[in-house]
Amino acid sequence: MLKYSIKRLFQSLLTLFIIVTVVFLLMRLLPEEGYFGDAYEKLDEAQREAILTSMGLRDPIHIQLINFYKNLLKGDLGESITFRPRVPVMEIIKDKVPYSLYFGLASIAISLIVGISLGIAMARNKSKFWDKLGTGYIVFVRAVPAAVYFLFIQIYITDIFKLPMLFKIDDPKTWILPTISMSLGGIASYAMWIRRYMVDELNKDYVKLARAKGLDSKKIMVRHVFRNAFVPMAQYLPATILFTISGSIYIESLYSIPGMGGLLVEVIKRQDNTLVQALVLIYSSIGIVGLFLGDILMALFDPRIKLER
Amino acid sequence: MDNRKVILSVKDLVIKFRLRGQILTAIREASLDLYEGESLAIVGESGSGKSVFTKSFMGLLDANGWIDSGNIMFEGEDLAQYKSEKDWLKIRGKKIAMVFQDPMTSLNPLKTIGKQVQEAIELHQGIKGEEAKKLTIQYLSDVGIHDPEKRYNQYPHEFSGGMRQRVVIAIAVACNPKILICDEPTTALDVTIQAQILELLKGLKEKYNLTTIYITHDLGVVANVADRIAVMYAGDIIEIGLCEEVFYNPQHPYTWALLSSLPQLGVKGQELFTIKGTPPNLFYDIKGDAFAPRNPRALKIDFVKRPPYFQVSPTHKAKTWLLDPRAPKVEPPESIRALRQQWEVESNG
Repeated sequence: MLKYSIKRLFQSLLTLFIIVTVVFLLMRLLPEEGYFGDAYEKLDEAQREAILTSMGLRDPIHIQLINFYKNLLKGDLGESITFRPRVPVMEIIKDKVPYSLYFGLASIAISLIVGISLGIAMARNKSKFWDKLGTGYIVFVRAVPAAVYFLFIQIYITDIFKLPMLFKIDDPKTWILPTISMSLGGIASYAMWIRRYMVDELNKDYVKLARAKGLDSKKIMVRHVFRNAFVPMAQYLPATILFTISGSIYIESLYSIPGMGGLLVEVIKRQDNTLVQALVLIYSSIGIVGLFLGDILMALFDPRIKLER
Repeated sequence: MDNRKVILSVKDLVIKFRLRGQILTAIREASLDLYEGESLAIVGESGSGKSVFTKSFMGLLDANGWIDSGNIMFEGEDLAQYKSEKDWLKIRGKKIAMVFQDPMTSLNPLKTIGKQVQEAIELHQGIKGEEAKKLTIQYLSDVGIHDPEKRYNQYPHEFSGGMRQRVVIAIAVACNPKILICDEPTTALDVTIQAQILELLKGLKEKYNLTTIYITHDLGVVANVADRIAVMYAGDIIEIGLCEEVFYNPQHPYTWALLSSLPQLGVKGQELFTIKGTPPNLFYDIKGDAFAPRNPRALKIDFVKRPPYFQVSPTHKAKTWLLDPRAPKVEPPESIRALRQQWEVESNG
């Protein structure tokens, strides 16, 4: 396991290196007007040059890149340049994390509990009413772009239940809809996978043997089918959990939740290179850690999988 | 044979399936008496209903199948009347256990084999924990698994096909059943392993006083293990008798054809015998003898009226009009006549 982890760590570092480099270069390819926002018109050529130079953007690109790597190795992600100039990016991000984290955790809990229960109910009543209803829900959630129903939920549900439209930290009523909206996709995915894997397992010969052995169907479900159906899901679970707690880009901007997801959209618009780079680094690391944990979880559940030869 | 106790008695069993909106009759009024302690082989080609027939004894028919009429009498109860899972749990494993065809898929890949055997013991023998584990190891060693203490903690993927089949057998035997149904127990295995598994099953049958039913289409397996043979065709047992009787003095034209298809009976240089045509379509009512359309020696009555059993000897009967005293004399094929002669010579000498 240790050897595997070390190998995996190096692979991950290489992946991260490639990602941040590509993002770094892409940000430099954006038109320069973006750095000035609305002030662009009011500044003359010389002033603009002076600002760009002061941001370090007039250095040759390889020098900029090398400086970026050096600072990264020192653990310094730099300072914001346009979003909140001169403020260290870590400080900006730190304030945003709790919002994303709490909404994410709540939504994960709801998705897992509701999604898995729905999936089990669907698998047990395959081709009957509950299965069809659940399938309808899953198809709807996965086929219709999330933006559409998120928007409808915000507009109509707030109207029906007289809920406020936007997030307010001290009003718990405003926490409900974002959490539910964030869970809809997760519920659909978990239900779909659990149903699918359980139906797969139910048709396997070992279930027939378990029946012939005299186990009742409840015990077969719990001891054999559910457990085995959970294994293929285990691989994706950590990644989806980590992504959820790192904030939903769309929901956060929709309800004006000051979390990390909304921040990313904002700083890309404002062309805040350092902040974008830092956020991309964080998101990629989360993704890589999630996949790694998934592999380990899988190996723990399934004795046939050995992580090293 | 008559003085032996009948342990399971099937009478006029009809099993139907609903398939794509149509109704298929898989078992057509089949009857069978199973004697305590015997070893019976049910042979027949794919789709003849041999698996379905035995699965119905344990309530393991697929969800789209049902027992339409008939009885399955076992320990004073009619299993054909059982409806709920609760009823069947009294039978499954506890009284009748089954060994399946494919050991590669019959075991749960994520549970140690020890736990899987132990599950059966805890369920049916009323012991738990350490004691059950000890017994599990005992069973594992009984089915010929070396170093059972170590193997107890291993997973199915660490076993070969033959070894997995031994585990599957251990599970069946660990249920402590009265009847053991082996559904093509060696079909998925290497030829060299087949003989070992059959020897093992024979040994376990003696050790645990089991009554065994083998389902197979391999007549070589039959000759090796069976006391009696039941030949199944289109959902009915058309001939049943002691092993030698069916092998050397077959009466039904289908049994003739089946035996003639054995490569061992082929003549060098000649093409091997095959049965022409296909088995009847079970979606339609079958009139007369189900084998008649494929039988070059079929009588007129074979197409009109279903034959009853005709007794050949106290232990041997067949459903063919050829055995009716009024029937014309029809000679079986060459190879079958040779078998008969060989048998007569042997039994006289």
